[in-house]
Amino acid sequence: MSNDLRQSAQFQPSRRDALRLASSGFGLLALRGLTQARAAQENPLAARAPHHAARAKRVIFLSMAGAPSHVDTFDYKPGLIARDGATLSGYRKGAKLMASPWKFLPRGESGLYLSELFPELGRHADRLCLLRGMHTDVPAHPQATAKMHTGSFQFVRPSLGAWTLYGLGTENQDLPGFVTLNPPSNNAQNYGSAFLPAVYQGLRIGLERNGRQRAGETGVPVDDITNPRQSKAQQRKQLDLVQALNREHARRNSGEDEIDAIIESYELAFRMQAELPSLLDLSNVKQATRDAYGIGKPETDDFGRQCLMARHMAAAGVRFIEVGMGGWDHHRNLRQELPERCRAIDRPIAALLSDLAASGLLDETLVIWGGEFGRTPYAQDADGRDHNNRGFTTWMAGGGVKGGLSYGATDENGIEAVEGRTSIHDWHATILHLMGLDHERLTYNYAGRDFRLTDVHGEVARDIVS
Amino acid sequence: MNLSQLLVVASILAPSAVGSASTAPQQRDPARAFAALRQRLDLDLDGRISEAEFNRGRAAFRRLDRDRDGFLTTADFEPRGGAGTQPAPPSAAGGEAGAGRAATPEEAEFFEKRVRPVLANACYSCHADSAKRVKGDLKVDSLQALLLGGASGPAIVPGDPDASPLVVAIRYDDPSFAMPPKQRLDDDAIADLERWVKMGAPWPSAPGMTTSTGATEPSNPDGDASTERPLGREIDIEAGRQFWSFRPVTRTVPPKTEDARWPWSDVDRFLLSAMEARDLAPVADADRRTWLRRVTFDLTGLPPTPEEAAAFEADRAPDAYEQVVDRLLASPAFGERFGRHWLDVARFAESSGKESNVLYPHAWRYRDWVIQSMAADMPFDEFLTKQIAGDLLPAANDDERAWNLIATSYLALGTKSHNERDARKFSLDVADEQIDAISQGMLGVTLACARCHDHKFDPFPTEDYYAVAGILLSTETRYGTLDSAGNNRGSALIELPQGAHVPNGPQMEPTLRQFLTRGKERAEQSLAKARDERMNGGGDQPRPGDVNAVRLRAQRQQVALTSDLLSRFDETGRALPSNRLTMGVVEGKPRDIAVLERGELSKPGSIAPRGIPQVLRTADAAAIRAGSGRLELARWIASPENPLTARVWVNRVWLHLFGTGLVRTPDNFGAGGAAPDHPALLDWLASEFIAKGWSTKALVRELVLTHAYRLDSRRSAQNAAIDPEALLRWRMPERRLEAEAIRDALLVVSGTLQATPPVGSPIGALEGTIRREEIADLVTRERPIRSVYLPSLRGHVVDALDVFDAPDAAFVTGDREETSVATQALFMMNDADVLRYSDAFAARLLALQGDDDARITAGFELAFGRKPVAMEVNAVRAFLADYARTIEPAPSGRASGNDTERRQRPGQRPRNRPGQDTDRPGSERPGSNRPSAGRGGAAPAVAPLTDPRRAAWSAFAQSLFQSAEFRTIG
Repeated sequence: MSNDLRQSAQFQPSRRDALRLASSGFGLLALRGLTQARAAQENPLAARAPHHAARAKRVIFLSMAGAPSHVDTFDYKPGLIARDGATLSGYRKGAKLMASPWKFLPRGESGLYLSELFPELGRHADRLCLLRGMHTDVPAHPQATAKMHTGSFQFVRPSLGAWTLYGLGTENQDLPGFVTLNPPSNNAQNYGSAFLPAVYQGLRIGLERNGRQRAGETGVPVDDITNPRQSKAQQRKQLDLVQALNREHARRNSGEDEIDAIIESYELAFRMQAELPSLLDLSNVKQATRDAYGIGKPETDDFGRQCLMARHMAAAGVRFIEVGMGGWDHHRNLRQELPERCRAIDRPIAALLSDLAASGLLDETLVIWGGEFGRTPYAQDADGRDHNNRGFTTWMAGGGVKGGLSYGATDENGIEAVEGRTSIHDWHATILHLMGLDHERLTYNYAGRDFRLTDVHGEVARDIVS
Repeated sequence: MNLSQLLVVASILAPSAVGSASTAPQQRDPARAFAALRQRLDLDLDGRISEAEFNRGRAAFRRLDRDRDGFLTTADFEPRGGAGTQPAPPSAAGGEAGAGRAATPEEAEFFEKRVRPVLANACYSCHADSAKRVKGDLKVDSLQALLLGGASGPAIVPGDPDASPLVVAIRYDDPSFAMPPKQRLDDDAIADLERWVKMGAPWPSAPGMTTSTGATEPSNPDGDASTERPLGREIDIEAGRQFWSFRPVTRTVPPKTEDARWPWSDVDRFLLSAMEARDLAPVADADRRTWLRRVTFDLTGLPPTPEEAAAFEADRAPDAYEQVVDRLLASPAFGERFGRHWLDVARFAESSGKESNVLYPHAWRYRDWVIQSMAADMPFDEFLTKQIAGDLLPAANDDERAWNLIATSYLALGTKSHNERDARKFSLDVADEQIDAISQGMLGVTLACARCHDHKFDPFPTEDYYAVAGILLSTETRYGTLDSAGNNRGSALIELPQGAHVPNGPQMEPTLRQFLTRGKERAEQSLAKARDERMNGGGDQPRPGDVNAVRLRAQRQQVALTSDLLSRFDETGRALPSNRLTMGVVEGKPRDIAVLERGELSKPGSIAPRGIPQVLRTADAAAIRAGSGRLELARWIASPENPLTARVWVNRVWLHLFGTGLVRTPDNFGAGGAAPDHPALLDWLASEFIAKGWSTKALVRELVLTHAYRLDSRRSAQNAAIDPEALLRWRMPERRLEAEAIRDALLVVSGTLQATPPVGSPIGALEGTIRREEIADLVTRERPIRSVYLPSLRGHVVDALDVFDAPDAAFVTGDREETSVATQALFMMNDADVLRYSDAFAARLLALQGDDDARITAGFELAFGRKPVAMEVNAVRAFLADYARTIEPAPSGRASGNDTERRQRPGQRPRNRPGQDTDRPGSERPGSNRPSAGRGGAAPAVAPLTDPRRAAWSAFAQSLFQSAEFRTIG
């Protein structure tokens, strides 16, 4: 299937475009990026050839809202043990370093040091590419979260997923190309399309709102995804009438692309209703799979479900899938709550990686884990850590990244990124690069200006590309 | 900064003045020294520091103000002739050994490979703009910064490594002065830096190079290189005046055409002449009903009624078309339609957007003013003048005065970062947003691009930007809001004259009032409890930074905010006269401001006198002598001599009537935009528009009565081969309706539209931020009113509008996106409100006299403005029968024929019909809203239809809504 789509996605300027180029010279097409012209010209969701050979076809972004402590999870700082309790100068007055309460162990053949809080994920150490030199602009949750998702915390800008979908289209026309599971509420911009056409915005499934209305066993909280009173057969009858009217209308107004687009949109919507709920319905999943993901165990049930849905969507050809997990803001109760959070994701993520690897999908799926910033190696009160935007860790696994690699580093205490410094723009540039997109060429002309996800910044972290 | 800190700074800056010269190893260039002080203290950006700005004690100020002129200026920091015992400072600007000169390519390469990486990796985290806190006042991310130095004086002496503190520090010779603090650089790096200083510290200044702030020139990969100014070249203003849109509008003469019969007007002559030049002929005319539907939607945003369609079809009077146009222009709906167009340009919204999204409860007054002004055909020059400077215009009475003040809301309702703590940055950002809105919206140029660098394409140097910014910073922008969580930047509002006939405000619904009162009481109780606990010594000792303290402060602010809000409404929820407030602007302290290098507050340059962009200065532009200059700015914008204003507006009107503009980038008439397809026509329209007194209605009338506007939408293969996009206007392309028109049509066709516009806005009875999902649901829920009156919150665009590409009002939006996507289909297929409108539409059809065929016909006439063809009637008849068979009547056998007695499933919430308007704040799912999550989830909010006939008719009615024809105009 994807072969046909790829074929059709090769850019062949239509006569209309050729004429437009030739006749207007300084016309719209000349002003706008090629992607924009193509996205406007064809089905905006049709799979499109990347700028260069893609290392990954799709992204699963495991978004850890609240900012996980890097020095307790993925950034091994043995020096902190020696300096435990030492007072730091130059930072918050009286800041005292706090060694991680948890041991770090070398895992896998690569011997990557990971916290003991990730016993299951540790089995995949040789697949993980740790980015230990991350930094971001501001140590405030909403801004840093917006930055991580859209590259800007000041302005409403298209999200990473929207840019990806705009650049590449999607492989399964029966499904949305960008799905976000359980995002925090009031954060639509983090999966929005901003000035990109609305077709590129993420389809939200569930909301992280006091645990209510999450994507559950069979419930499918998607905007208007099911009709409250019609059966599928009834709806099909109705759509048949609608499409008959549409075709008659198209016949009378020969050659309007707009009508064709509307006809198509109803068919995709109808198909989405059919396929999307089944992807989200986990009631028929084998017990062994449920156990592997930790579904049914209170601790891991929620995130396990999301990971399994993400895996289903990845297999079904969804381009960008975001899975959300909040609760990492450990200003206090670090010793009790951080292990709980880690347990909630450890098994599900390990199962996701195993599952993707076993099915051969991991090579072409880029799995990304990260929070909006990190936490201070010095203590807040006795049992917490404060926000730290100057250095933190994210990781990637799968399509196109070197496994078992630690890239970049924070200083000896874990405060500032000093080596392999990776800003959010760099991080975005790298993700797009792995997807076959050149972040400098992926532009959209809006309000008289070419916009990019990375604005005027961003450097690909080439050292992590396998 | 406290006084002691300041005195340290002052002592460093002007040692002899303070008398503690020993702390300053080196005296500095006075201009730079003063710049450093000004950067901190010059709040009004007038280039000098007043005693009030100094605000650190009169004695200290007097000591520093050596020339006793009441201001600290550079002069106060000049070394006293002969009095100084210090050796003459090395002039930073005059670094002999090459500072300031361009680096050779070899030097640049050396710098980029060996020096910059060391500085970036080892120093920037504390000594660069990008650092969170710059330590020791020293930055090393530019040569200027190095020469300016920090608390310890200049960091380098070009050509002399041994005299350069930076080199001394990295050598680690002196343990008390060793950098970087944690670890010595390796010897190679130290040697490289020494060598570089010895070279004379050449700092490459190639544009586009990344500095530590990452401030590179924006890339424009697809821009036409020929339009981009060669780098480094000064802007040539005179040459810039030659660009088409900066040249005066010329009174063009309509051309002669071969076919003398086709053109009905001069506009047609321009168009046909261009077609004839390309051997194209226009297609045939549209039929009467198609034209009526087109012009009715275009002028009112509403569909024609079947009665109007029938009357027009039968009307054979020679001026039947003119009569329709005049009727539509006279309708209040014209104001709503064209007002909405302007609201897009004015980036109108009722909240701040950005991080905090603070509500603007008085913004609706501006919305109403725009709608009324459009309906009254206020001359467009006056319309613009009032928005910039209505407060400065004479007014005949309180009414006029009130509306003039309200008009200035235009400047106050842009996006803002209310959580910004830096007042200066905030006011600069507000001015920037205003410049962006004015320049793009009124003038079609992107002046805001010149904030950080000279404009890349257009002849606007940064001085032009700061000249306009000075006008806006000499103005006080009053947007209201109270300081509270997420809002550090509350402001006053403007009181409206008490004699003015303006509404006090919207009704506060009783449930909302209860909700607010309860919330306030709860907050007051917990505040009282906390106070008691503290007094009785109970509970934890409050500590600074305690979460409780933060929470309590938030609650106190909440109480203040709610009290203020409740005080403006009486017990019955009626708005009181104290609510007669508006956003807007008033005059501030007039001042010229400094050009900020790269837009950074810390880099003030020369002062830019207030004024208008040089390239657009005309002979009649009044000089700014007193006041902010806003009135002069407004008069210049609205001047017939202004080459942009009229062109930009006639192009916008053309766009709304013909689908695409004559200039296809309506917000950008600069070199980065598109050139006009019909330059002579554009100028003819602009000059006619001015000549006819800037009458928008006259312009609209002219355009919709052209032959071009009458054309059919059908393609002609022959024409399309030459002009595929119909830029020559040989046909009228089919257009998708805007979101508001689609939704309004749903209301009109289903017979549920509330006839009278609401007073105010639901936002008008709220304050603060949208933090709770319930509030967002409450304000964005469905109401049976025209879409232009729905709440217009940034970030919370009403779903029914959002799905059809309504803009979020973050920017000027002259040309909306037009998409056809599956989410729109899902909305039309499954949305609870659409189902309710379908039920209402079906009920309307079923109530008609006559047989089902007549009802089917009526459905088509209502929805599409035409009769169905036989094939369509047959298809619908078959559908109705087929669909009814799929409905199982209710088990009780009692079909719910009565629309008001719907059966409900157990546990199901009562359904709200369109037409009801009950607010349910605080409830789980307020009103009949489409909550932002879980639609289609657990409990359906619409009742099932168990009567087969009613169900079938509702499904048919919905299919008309779903069809492509419903949302397009031919």
